[in-house]
Amino acid sequence: MKRLADFRVGDTFELTRSADRYRPIYYAAVSGDFNPIHIDREVAQLAGLPDTILQGMCTMAWLADACTSYFGDPGRFRRLRVRFSRPVVSGDTVTFRGRCTSVEGGRVRVEVEASNQRGEEVLKGAAAEASFEE
Amino acid sequence: MAIDPRHVGRRYGPYRHQVCAERVRDFATVVAGGAPGHFGAASGEPHPWSADEEAAARSPYGALVAPPTFAVTFAMDPFAQACADPEIGLDLVRLLHAEQEFEYRGVVRPADVLTTRGEVVEVHSKGPLDFMTVRTETRNQADELVIVGLWTAVVRT
Repeated sequence: MKRLADFRVGDTFELTRSADRYRPIYYAAVSGDFNPIHIDREVAQLAGLPDTILQGMCTMAWLADACTSYFGDPGRFRRLRVRFSRPVVSGDTVTFRGRCTSVEGGRVRVEVEASNQRGEEVLKGAAAEASFEE
Repeated sequence: MAIDPRHVGRRYGPYRHQVCAERVRDFATVVAGGAPGHFGAASGEPHPWSADEEAAARSPYGALVAPPTFAVTFAMDPFAQACADPEIGLDLVRLLHAEQEFEYRGVVRPADVLTTRGEVVEVHSKGPLDFMTVRTETRNQADELVIVGLWTAVVRT
C-alpha cells in the first residue's frame, strides 16, 4: 500500500488498451449503455461515424485504470474528470500517458494524455486526484 | 436549435440500485480487455481489489471495491433520462457524451444500496454544438453522499 511519501511530482505512468470489435458490446453488457451507435455499425454510419464507437465511459474507465496503476488502490480516488474530444472507433488502440502534477495536503493529482494509434488526442483535460495518509 | 434554458432545474429520480459483486467483477474484467464472466482472461490486469474476491478480502476494504467509473451502472439514469426526455427533445442520433466528472466522497462495495437523484444544471450553445449538463448525487444505505457526477452531452446541430 502506498503512502503520500511514495508519490513525487514528475512521476509518470502509462497504459495501453484496445477497442477490439467486441469491446463496445461487452462494455454495453456491464455498463447498461446499449446506445446503438456502440453496437450497430449501420446506426453509427447514419450518425456520420466511420464505424461503431466505444462508449466514452469505457475510455474513462481505461483512464481510471491507468491512474489506479499509479495510485495502487481503486478506493482512493477523490476526483476524476475528462472531456471526450474525439471518438474512439472500433479497432482503435489508445495509449494513456500520465504525470503527477502535485502532491500536497494529502492529495496526489495527476494529468493524463490519451491518444490513438495515429497519435490523435482522444481526451482533453483528463485529470484525477486521490487522497493518501502521510 | 439551442436547448431551451427553461429545462434547467428539471429533476430525475430517485433511482435505486443494489451493487452486486459479480457485476463489479465483470465490469473490471471487461474494462481490462476480458469477456464478461471470464475473470482471468483479460488481456490487461484488472486491479485485484475490484476483480478477485479473495485478494479483496485481504485488502484494507475487506471486500471488493467498485472501480471509480462503475458509477455508470448506478448513477447514469438521470442523465440517460434527460437525454431521452421528450420535453427536452434532444436528437439522440446526433448526441454524444462530451464531458464527465466525478467527485468521490466514499467507496462503493457489493451489497450497497445506492440512491441517485439528478438535475439539469446547465444548457449552453457553442457554434453548431448544444450542451446539456446533468448533476447527480448518489447516497448509500447510510444516507452518506458517496459520489457526485457531472454528465455533459453534446448535440451536433
